[in-house]
Amino acid sequence: MLKILRLEFLFNRRQLFIVLAVFSAYFAYMAGRIASPRLFIVMTSVMVGLSMPFVILGREDKFKTAALVCSLPVRRSTYVLGKYAATWIAIGLGLGYALLLTAALPFSKIAVSEVLGLKTILVSVFLISLIFSVILPFTLRFGFTGVIILLVGTQLLGIVALFIAQLVRVPNNPLRIVLQAVEKGLKTLLHHEPTPGFLLALLAAILALNAFSIFVGWALYARRDL
Amino acid sequence: MMDNAIEIKGLSKAYKGFALEDVTLAAPSGHIMGLIGPNGAGKTTIVKLIMNLIRRDAGEIRLFGLDNRRCEAEVKSRIGFVYDAPRFPEDLRLDTIASALSAFYDRWDEVRFKELLKEFCLPPRQAFKKLSHGMKMKFSLALALAHQADLILMDEPTAGLDPVFRFELLNRLQALIQSERKTVFFSSHITTDLERVADFVTFVHKGRIVFSAAKDSVLESWGVVRAKSDKLRPEDVPEARGHRRTEHSLEVLTSDLAAAGRLLGDRAVCDRASLEDIMFFVSKGNGHA
Repeated sequence: MLKILRLEFLFNRRQLFIVLAVFSAYFAYMAGRIASPRLFIVMTSVMVGLSMPFVILGREDKFKTAALVCSLPVRRSTYVLGKYAATWIAIGLGLGYALLLTAALPFSKIAVSEVLGLKTILVSVFLISLIFSVILPFTLRFGFTGVIILLVGTQLLGIVALFIAQLVRVPNNPLRIVLQAVEKGLKTLLHHEPTPGFLLALLAAILALNAFSIFVGWALYARRDL
Repeated sequence: MMDNAIEIKGLSKAYKGFALEDVTLAAPSGHIMGLIGPNGAGKTTIVKLIMNLIRRDAGEIRLFGLDNRRCEAEVKSRIGFVYDAPRFPEDLRLDTIASALSAFYDRWDEVRFKELLKEFCLPPRQAFKKLSHGMKMKFSLALALAHQADLILMDEPTAGLDPVFRFELLNRLQALIQSERKTVFFSSHITTDLERVADFVTFVHKGRIVFSAAKDSVLESWGVVRAKSDKLRPEDVPEARGHRRTEHSLEVLTSDLAAAGRLLGDRAVCDRASLEDIMFFVSKGNGHA
């Protein structure tokens, strides 16, 4: 797997450094504007969780290098594991850089203790896992086109659900219930006291999400014709 | 007894609108086998199945006597694979690509790789995107040769190359066989390339193997029978495999030229068939079962 990680680094290093450079400007601006650490965590997680995997997966999609890597002497399962590891390392790099930058900037409106706490980091990793664990297996199996179809399809489903709910005037709109549940979950996540139990549960959730995603990734990639 | 680098038995793969059916062939070690067929015949599908890049529906593929799925990493470490269109990150330099890939091969020979780059006039610090198609193919070949692969597997390596590049590439392949006893398996629809270098030829058409045999025996036994239309019918020719009618004459492809000559005598002119004749008659000229 180390060989896969090395290959991913050599294939993507320039683009990853370019993204980090863009991050410098972006997070410097955001750190000077946003005073709420919770909002900052959510925004950072979404930004890092989307941009870092997309650098690696986007280049693979663009140059169709999946067939090249699968022609090398590695099993597909090793390749998938390597892809997850490489993407998580890139995410870790992006997240670490963003949080350190925010903490170090003199004009940052967010305190160091708020950004570099264990809870902040775990919440960020959890939010990134939520995005990443869905997108990565899909991208591995169907490429970027698949992800675009997934995102557009989800949006269309949302619009259809909204339209139907308006049309039939359901007293308990199921869509609203789902959105309220998401909002409630996010609030709990951000406002909960960082007790050891909560942090352990968060860590377990992160591990479970990623393990499940890897298994799905393995199963999907084994069926992919290149 | 001749051992085989590639053994395929009963291989099938179905797509929507195309099916590879019951493909069986064997490529002997230390020889060049050409996989020939018109566009869309199933050549790339066979090559991809050998590399386990696509899933098979049925059948067995053994490389160096090992199952290509169960021993995937082991067999792939002994294969040098060249794509029809090389797929490397276009913006990377050749030495960076080679550095990333070399780690996967225990037998990678950096000195040899550098020699090959020099021989092929490829600057190591050049970005891949700045290479011409021919240069890209040469780079792919250099990578395939640098890890001392026992089997060089190529999908349409000569397609889109000018005659000078093609000639160079084919010479290189022949030299490999003579000096290093490697096995080469390559697909092509350019029949003259195969006639020039192949020891064995497998002809695939509409997903089925028409024949898989030594090139010399194919060129000796297959022939084209020509006669005036009123003197010959396709069914008069033994082992007829296809025919073509013109205004006044009939041409019939046979896989038993000697029998056709004996049977027809002066009624027809019998000539040896080229691979191009065979491909044309079977695929376009009212092919017979």
